[in-house]
Amino acid sequence: MLGRVFSELVHRMRAIVRRDAVERELDDELRFHLEREAEKYVRAGVPRREAERRARIVLGGVERIKDDDRDARGVGLFDAAAQDLRYAVRTLRLTPGFTLAVVITLGLGIGATAGIFSVIDRLMFQPPPMMHDPSSVSRAYRAYDFRGKHRIDESFEYRRYVDLTQWSSSFSQAAAFSVGVLAVGVGQDASEVPVGRASASFFSFFDAKPALGRFYSASEDRAPRGALVAVLSYPYWQSRYGGRRDVLGRQIAIDRGSYTIIGVAPQGFAGMADGDTPVAWIPVTAYGGLRKSTFADNYNWGWLGILVRRKPGVSAEGATADLSTAYRRSWQAERAMDPTLAPVDVAKPAMILAPTPSARGPDAGAQGRIPFWVGAVALVTLIVAGANVAGLMLARAFRRRREIALRLALGVGRGRLVAQLLSEGLLLAAAGGLTGLGIGWLVAGGFMRLYGGAGPGGRALDARTVIFCAAITLIVGIATSLAPALVGLRGDLAASLKAGVREGTYQRSRARTALVVVQGALSTALLVAAGLFVRSFANVRAMPLGYDVDHTLVAEVNLRGMQLSVDEQKRLMQRLTDEASLVPGVAGATQMVSTPFYSFEGTRIDVPGIDSAGRLGPFELQLVSPGYFRTVGTRIVAGRAIDSTDRAGSPLAIVVSAEMAHRLWPGENPLGKCVKVDAGGCSTVVGVSENTVTRGISHTAEANYYIAADQANRATYGLYVRVRGRGADYVEAVRRRLQAAMPGVSYVVVMPFGRIVGTAEQSWQIGATMFSALGMLALLLAAIGIYSVIAYNVTQRTHEIGVRIALGARVAHLTALVLRDGLRLGAIGMGIGILLALVAGRWLSPLLFDVSPRDPAVVLLVAGVLLGVTCLASAVPAVRAARVDPNVALRAD
Amino acid sequence: MDRLDLPQGTLDLLILKALSLQPQHGWAISERLRQVSRAMLDVPQGSLYPALHRLERRGWIKASWGPSDNNRHAKFYELTRAGRKQLGAEMDAWQKLTTAVSLVLEMQ
Repeated sequence: MLGRVFSELVHRMRAIVRRDAVERELDDELRFHLEREAEKYVRAGVPRREAERRARIVLGGVERIKDDDRDARGVGLFDAAAQDLRYAVRTLRLTPGFTLAVVITLGLGIGATAGIFSVIDRLMFQPPPMMHDPSSVSRAYRAYDFRGKHRIDESFEYRRYVDLTQWSSSFSQAAAFSVGVLAVGVGQDASEVPVGRASASFFSFFDAKPALGRFYSASEDRAPRGALVAVLSYPYWQSRYGGRRDVLGRQIAIDRGSYTIIGVAPQGFAGMADGDTPVAWIPVTAYGGLRKSTFADNYNWGWLGILVRRKPGVSAEGATADLSTAYRRSWQAERAMDPTLAPVDVAKPAMILAPTPSARGPDAGAQGRIPFWVGAVALVTLIVAGANVAGLMLARAFRRRREIALRLALGVGRGRLVAQLLSEGLLLAAAGGLTGLGIGWLVAGGFMRLYGGAGPGGRALDARTVIFCAAITLIVGIATSLAPALVGLRGDLAASLKAGVREGTYQRSRARTALVVVQGALSTALLVAAGLFVRSFANVRAMPLGYDVDHTLVAEVNLRGMQLSVDEQKRLMQRLTDEASLVPGVAGATQMVSTPFYSFEGTRIDVPGIDSAGRLGPFELQLVSPGYFRTVGTRIVAGRAIDSTDRAGSPLAIVVSAEMAHRLWPGENPLGKCVKVDAGGCSTVVGVSENTVTRGISHTAEANYYIAADQANRATYGLYVRVRGRGADYVEAVRRRLQAAMPGVSYVVVMPFGRIVGTAEQSWQIGATMFSALGMLALLLAAIGIYSVIAYNVTQRTHEIGVRIALGARVAHLTALVLRDGLRLGAIGMGIGILLALVAGRWLSPLLFDVSPRDPAVVLLVAGVLLGVTCLASAVPAVRAARVDPNVALRAD
Repeated sequence: MDRLDLPQGTLDLLILKALSLQPQHGWAISERLRQVSRAMLDVPQGSLYPALHRLERRGWIKASWGPSDNNRHAKFYELTRAGRKQLGAEMDAWQKLTTAVSLVLEMQ
């Protein structure tokens, strides 16, 4: 018996899997039979053609035999599924509007979710590409208490890395690495690009074989200074060197050294980079040694991440304990060199081992939580989309009740009917999923651009995302089609057949109403959040920064290790200022040392009459050349600006910000006061400037002071350049002009001021963009949902409306009747949504700027928008109801 | 002499029997059945192949492609061990059935 079942199974599988071959064999077999049969007749003296005809008659219809055979083969189930699918395609083709609406709705919902998934997955869960056995690899973090605060740090000194590796025993591999933006190339070719610094051991963490040449060895990565060798990344080798094999042995200028190219990393290798793939990797000791000759001897420069691989059989806890012991020993060693360091029992140094993606580290912070926020919002959108589609399918199922009842009456099995409705739903979901994949690709790309960095290799969609997309497609497909399938089968067969449209009362579907209310509620909540973020972003944008961002460029000079005296550098900066002013379109240029949100300079301040003025700080220094305030757009509110009369040798002058004046001399006139900068002589306050925002966007006013560069004992290193027009349009022209004046290997970086400020505003921009986009999407879906429910109800009530009109009901009254239906749904959804938003506001408020999470304006606006959209969505069916012709309505069906 | 219609379900038995002597292809089976029955049995050729494939699926016969007597590519069927057992069982059942039917028909 068992053998027979098995034999059946094998043959059926073969019949399905190798369908063509089986059919061909059957063909051959029957043809052979016909030939032999015909020969038999020929031998008996029948002419050949007649013989063939007879043979065919005796055998019977070849096609019928094949059919019998197919049925017997049990291809039936498979064929039934194919038939269902064909049937589904046909029915969906009949209602292209419905099909399109469902596919687009699902596509948007699935696409948003899949796109966000791919980003979260890449940031949080995927090990770096090509890493060997990622489960045994951890990234090391350290934790210690500093001045009563618990700190977590991912950066280590080279000496610490050596200590930790030699004093721990749980690890089979350890590597130090970091990625930094460094200058590559010389002169006009110089650009700042990501470069990886990695210990020789780094490469053995990966299953990576060089595409060309070799990686560097431990003997080339040795303190105090490693060999100047570089391994190029594959994309850089392709784009910069056209994939030429003779790059080996060539020189490439990176940062302060000239490196020999010894290899090319394989395609797809990105090391530990979170953002763009580095253009090259160089030994840590080569980079460190060129920067500071003593970098390997002390604990002053923490710049390296550490990667470790546990030995087989060593638990994560055991490894952490072992590494913490090594860290404590290293702490003691550091304390022997620097007695001011807190003792071990105060600082409590310890190590933490975490998964490799940096967003999973113990110090990931707010930036790391953004993807989760976005993920939750995307999921809400998917639910709205799913609810919408379920609603549409339900309506369709109600409309098709008679068809279904008829088919049941004709003897179609219920199982087969469910299968058919399910295959329709799954087909729709599949089309939606495919659309979603495309949309997801756009979403992922867009979000990564907003978030910064395209990710390693820039893959927007990988296999995992596609699988995820397929999974949610399947779930959504089943969920949205199962309910309607059950509704379609439920109820009294005979009643459905008899009733038709002419039912005394129409039936409201409670399920559909609930679905629409859910959509309304969720989209209201999203829209409230969107409104709050848009207002925050607007507040951020509208905040007076105290300088003009749009028309200004920032130029920063990098001497790349060249040693210039202060005077030489001052001359260089003066020359650059002059050169910049000569570029067509430039309105002015000025020197500076502090860039908002980027770098802060400060120095000691003493004020006669104030005991230790420093405690009122921090005070931020800006060294300026004449024309600074005009160029940058910071207004002088009292006195005068620094001008060309403030030269070396003339009386020392200082301009202070209003905030600084307020802190030092509250209620007094600051003009003429004395400030001693850097323990020098009195600088006289000649002017007061408006406050500027420089340390992050907030209302905390900063204390800034401005001194003429000529009167300072140090040089500036950057310029502000004001252009007539959009800053971004002048970047290249200004850079070329300035670079031509740069000596030796030094270079200049020019960027629009707006980009720096934009980074500071990024989190609000992400919030506003994301919530607005998804909120609008949800609103659109909810509107479609309300429309379809109301429109459906009107269709159902056509007969009743006809009766009302015949009895003399007024058009306005009828319209109001339908509108009221829609508004009731909209209002309930809106109410729940606003409650939701108010509750969720608690978690939202730290992310907002100058807006209460219960901002009445936003809530009112959203309420208005929602009611408006509801009105619009129900107005169309309302008008249709008013136009019902009683003659037609009453005679129909 | 008129030809006889095959009673329901006997075709399988006949095929198994025909194959118990030697492996044969479909056409040869039908010829053989016709000859041995002195052309009294009309094997419906249209039912032959679905029956053969059914038996094959049940594992009672197995098929292989080989050269026919006139050296053409043909599909040969042969009995499997399970098929031989099945043939025995079916022949038994048939004997019993015919005996029983004859007994009834001969009643006085």
